[in-house]
Amino acid sequence: MSWHDVLRTLDPRHKRLLALGASLVVIWVVFDLLSGGLFFSPRNFYNLAVQSSTVALLTVGMVLVIITRNIDLSVGSVLGLTGMVIAILQIEVFPAAAGWNWPLTLAIGLIAGTLIGLWQGFLVAYVGIPSFVVTLAGLLIFRGLTFEISQGQTFSPFQAGYRIFGGGQQGSLGEAASWIVGGVALVVLLGALARRLRSGEASLPFTLLGGLFASALTLFMIYQFNAYDRPRTDLGYGIPSPLLLLTLAATWIGLFVNRAPVGRHVYAVGQNLEAARLVGVPVRRVVLKVFALMGLLCAVGAVITTSRLNAGTTNLGTLLELNVIAAAVIGGASLDGGRGSILGGILGAFVIQSLDTGMVLIGVSSSLRQILIGFVLIGAVWVDRIAVRRS
Amino acid sequence: MKKKAKTLILSALAVATGAQALLAATVGVSWARFQEERWVTDEKALEERLEELGHRLLTADARGSSTRQAADIEGLLARGVDVLLVVGHDTQAVIPAVQRALDDGVPVIAYERQIKHPDVTYVGFDPVLVGRAQARALLEVQPDGNYVLIKGGQQDQYAHGTYQGQMDEIGPLVEDGTIDIIAEQWTTDWKPEVAQANMENIITAQGDRIDAVLCSNDGMASGVVAAMEQAGLVGLPLSGQDGDVAAVNRIARGSQTMTAWKDVRVLGRRAADLADAIAKGKDLASLPGATTFTDEELGIEQLAFPLDPTTITANNLELMIEAGWVTREQVCRGVPPGTAEICES
Repeated sequence: MSWHDVLRTLDPRHKRLLALGASLVVIWVVFDLLSGGLFFSPRNFYNLAVQSSTVALLTVGMVLVIITRNIDLSVGSVLGLTGMVIAILQIEVFPAAAGWNWPLTLAIGLIAGTLIGLWQGFLVAYVGIPSFVVTLAGLLIFRGLTFEISQGQTFSPFQAGYRIFGGGQQGSLGEAASWIVGGVALVVLLGALARRLRSGEASLPFTLLGGLFASALTLFMIYQFNAYDRPRTDLGYGIPSPLLLLTLAATWIGLFVNRAPVGRHVYAVGQNLEAARLVGVPVRRVVLKVFALMGLLCAVGAVITTSRLNAGTTNLGTLLELNVIAAAVIGGASLDGGRGSILGGILGAFVIQSLDTGMVLIGVSSSLRQILIGFVLIGAVWVDRIAVRRS
Repeated sequence: MKKKAKTLILSALAVATGAQALLAATVGVSWARFQEERWVTDEKALEERLEELGHRLLTADARGSSTRQAADIEGLLARGVDVLLVVGHDTQAVIPAVQRALDDGVPVIAYERQIKHPDVTYVGFDPVLVGRAQARALLEVQPDGNYVLIKGGQQDQYAHGTYQGQMDEIGPLVEDGTIDIIAEQWTTDWKPEVAQANMENIITAQGDRIDAVLCSNDGMASGVVAAMEQAGLVGLPLSGQDGDVAAVNRIARGSQTMTAWKDVRVLGRRAADLADAIAKGKDLASLPGATTFTDEELGIEQLAFPLDPTTITANNLELMIEAGWVTREQVCRGVPPGTAEICES
């Protein structure tokens, strides 16, 4: 069987994932050559993982929103508001010495994010206002609220315990735990692939290629994370906490989407709303849940970003929605609804951040970086269109 | 009808408060983007001083858009302002709107950001002076070696001014090889998290070779410090500007060297005084502190009142506490004993 035949047997969805994975590797190799070996340094990999995690995490939610044929333009503002709520409560309102301070503010932040998501989901699903309008309004409202409650001030520093989420000095697993977590992740991953092979969802070539790529990537990343030493020690950082949060969230949500009825409902709503309604899919509740999840993920993103920056600032997360939507689209989500992949979205986020990081390493100016990423966005969808037309 | 009511109220005020209120003016201010820590303070100082002098303040916020700012200025003119203060979002693009005000006979003061127009008076902390203060403070602790420049938003003239001031100081040293600029990046919208990611990547590229970070403001400095902490680079010379509470705290902790503090209350009061002088028909050029800014390229000469920022380091934090800008508690929050003199006792 030639390469060509192998490619033809692949499902378009799987082809897209493999292509994304391959482009990621190509980008890495090119930047590594251009930067004289800096890209593949342990420190860069650690930073890349941390820098990509927030966008990737939000992309997981955004993919689901887009699959239901909606959009969420407010994610940056929701992240900014929940981050500011946590910052003000933790730093200004609650006693600085109290041990319960940061866990409580964390919980309040997550609840606030979910409530905002529920509110927007309610307006979209039950009142029938288009999501573009609801979340455009949300973008303005929540950014404005952020400023109102902070009066423009920056709040810093957070409690030490809270900083475990940011991937800095306190925010990583260490070497031994990283190998254990990595091992478990690999077993789960390969198990899932094998199950798909048996059930006929995935072809043999995809299972082999995908399994090989995922195992190599996982082992390589953990090796790199462990090789990046904490300052003035020879103990490795290990897996950064933002990446761990991303992995856990994506796995949990992925299981729901692929295994539980609600996952099929999400796709059904986006593919054909009327048909979905007729066969008894609780359309409104599905949309409500998706937006609630998006709100929760924004809050988790806020925790990572504020903990990482060790400060709550009023412009935290501005323009983030654009990166998140771009990542989802590069990852194969269709703005017409009904199509999109969580894993693809995550890879899309890593592609964007890899380009950005790589260009800083070789000293490219920020305006040129924007231009290139813009072209990549168009290019990704263009290639996708060609592939869709062919199949 | 409204006009009549206004006149009535004004004359009533005049009777009540004497001659000064006869000259009561309406002062309009068009903010570029109000949603940053400092402008709230500007507005308060401006408003208080104007009220003291018997004037009234109208405000509009362009929220970071040049088109909205043009509309804001027209709106303020329509509401009958006598003096117009403008913080230009884009100091080039705002000129047509400013011209309209001047054509209407409304004097314009460029507030904080210079608008290059011969008939506009400029008052502000000159970004060039800010940049020089930053560079000088770093040179004092690190006179040579490898410098990293974390610059502000590339679209913002203010960022270019600060950069120009920095280069005024270190440029000659770069030429003779004393200082090497090993990396520099503009920062989209001056965002701290962008500065953090850029700094992390610069550390990857340059590692331990970095001797000092010439950072253009305090918000971005918080990102730079977070990036350096993760990489274990502690106590590197680092600059900032604005006198953010968080930055002052970092100076006490020793993780930031200086901040170019612009006591914006001084600026707000100064601008209010200028508006007052205009309302009273005084000649601005004869006021103390007046100078002329010349742009030879454009062939423009304009009246300017540049204010010098105060360099705040660990040695003079007391100044900010005395001015009521920050409290001792805010300065010393979480500062380990034995780090900063000001936090002992």
